[in-house]
Amino acid sequence: MDRNEIVKTVNSIFVERFEMDESELTPEKKIIEDLQLDSLDLVDMIVGLQQKFGIMLRDNPEIRNVRTLGDVYDLFEKLAKEHPEIADKIK
Amino acid sequence: MEKRRAVVTGIGVVSPLGNSVAELYRGLLDGRSGIRAMTEWRGEFGRSIAGAPVVPDPEQVKQISRKVRRTMGNAALFAGLAAREAVTQSGLEPEFFSSGRVACVIGSTVGSAASMTEACVADYEGRRNDLSACHFFRLMSHSSSFNVADMFGINGPQLSTNSACASGLQALGEALELIQLGKVDAVVAGGSDESTPLVAASFQLLYALAEEEVPEPEKLSRPFDAGRTGLVCGEGAGILVVEELEHAKRRGAQILFEIAGYATNCSGWHVSHSDEVQTANCMKGALADAGISAEAVDYISAHATGTKVGDAAEASAIRAVFGGDTPVSSLKGHIGHTLGASGALEMAAVAGMMRDGLVLPTRNLEEVGDCSGILLPREVQERRVRVCLKNSIAFGGVNASLVCRSFE
Repeated sequence: MDRNEIVKTVNSIFVERFEMDESELTPEKKIIEDLQLDSLDLVDMIVGLQQKFGIMLRDNPEIRNVRTLGDVYDLFEKLAKEHPEIADKIK
Repeated sequence: MEKRRAVVTGIGVVSPLGNSVAELYRGLLDGRSGIRAMTEWRGEFGRSIAGAPVVPDPEQVKQISRKVRRTMGNAALFAGLAAREAVTQSGLEPEFFSSGRVACVIGSTVGSAASMTEACVADYEGRRNDLSACHFFRLMSHSSSFNVADMFGINGPQLSTNSACASGLQALGEALELIQLGKVDAVVAGGSDESTPLVAASFQLLYALAEEEVPEPEKLSRPFDAGRTGLVCGEGAGILVVEELEHAKRRGAQILFEIAGYATNCSGWHVSHSDEVQTANCMKGALADAGISAEAVDYISAHATGTKVGDAAEASAIRAVFGGDTPVSSLKGHIGHTLGASGALEMAAVAGMMRDGLVLPTRNLEEVGDCSGILLPREVQERRVRVCLKNSIAFGGVNASLVCRSFE
């Protein structure tokens, strides 16, 4: 699973759930300050990531540390290396 | 102490006959029906069941911000769309809603019947973790009320009159009392509900649903008719801006009508049996609250849903209070039973009757049998409607009656 596929999958959550334009979604964007997600959206971001990638994230402390969209891409690049089966689970 | 007076300065609806007051009223005036065969429910019922669905305009829906919309089930969405029409008509300044002097009072049977079903299915299938953080907020009982408050920045009292099919009318009564007591100067008030197979099945189980599979489903809802077989489930919202009279006058607002009196009571003995004595007492209470005699009432907008027992009991109660000379009709022949929305939604149509000097008939009423002894027009009648009384009757033995009069 390469980074492009991860970026595309993560971005699809922001487009579908948060009605954002794909062009807004660049790695340096801060999730709260720039993309204006609030506490409920952050939970739904986790729910969306869990559904798309088919892994549980709720209790993963690393998901709580993401600040930018790039941090989310990086986290999933790391998770994809640790759990190669993720590639087969993407919905 | 003289009571402060409450008037209506804005009305909005989402209804089976269209998503504006004008569309609803035009449809009623033309005698059209919002009822059709719910072919999409065939899977749940194994056959076609009649319903009166709402079709929201996606463009109007998009105009509600995502951060409010995400916590809305259909009932709250309908309430939001109706509230926007009402607030726009009122002409009230946006800043006024955040002055602490505005309340939001909206009721529904449940927050969102569809969201409740979805949550149960997800739980049963072991998919709780798939539920959105917003899901619970869609099904909470006061979902319509807080979502509408958030749409307009209303930061006064926020209440939810969840009394099944009396929810909407109780909300208007509560609005009157909040204004009379001086707690607020305006209230965004009304009712909303959404219909699902589970909602229809709840009535079916009680033999209260008109469930025959017929070639003309639009004829199934027959309030007061001798051949009535039950109600048809509708959905929608009716929202009114209720404002203190002097406040409305000071800003030169267009006053649509006055809410003059209100009463609500309950039978105190049975959740679903009709109690015509308490229904009559409720109407008498509303008249007394308004200081208006029964003889002065020009029109009665009945609750009558088309059930065998309920319609006859309400007709009997009306006969006991008003005799047989005051015109009575039920709009549920046109739009089905819009449940928690019905009281406020139907008041929106009654406002048109008061404005135009018309009484709309009960659609599909052909033969009056056990509901005789009250005046049931079969056609649109020209008649000055200066004072009207609206009833809502609900599970829980709940009655609500509102007395309104034209403002001159």
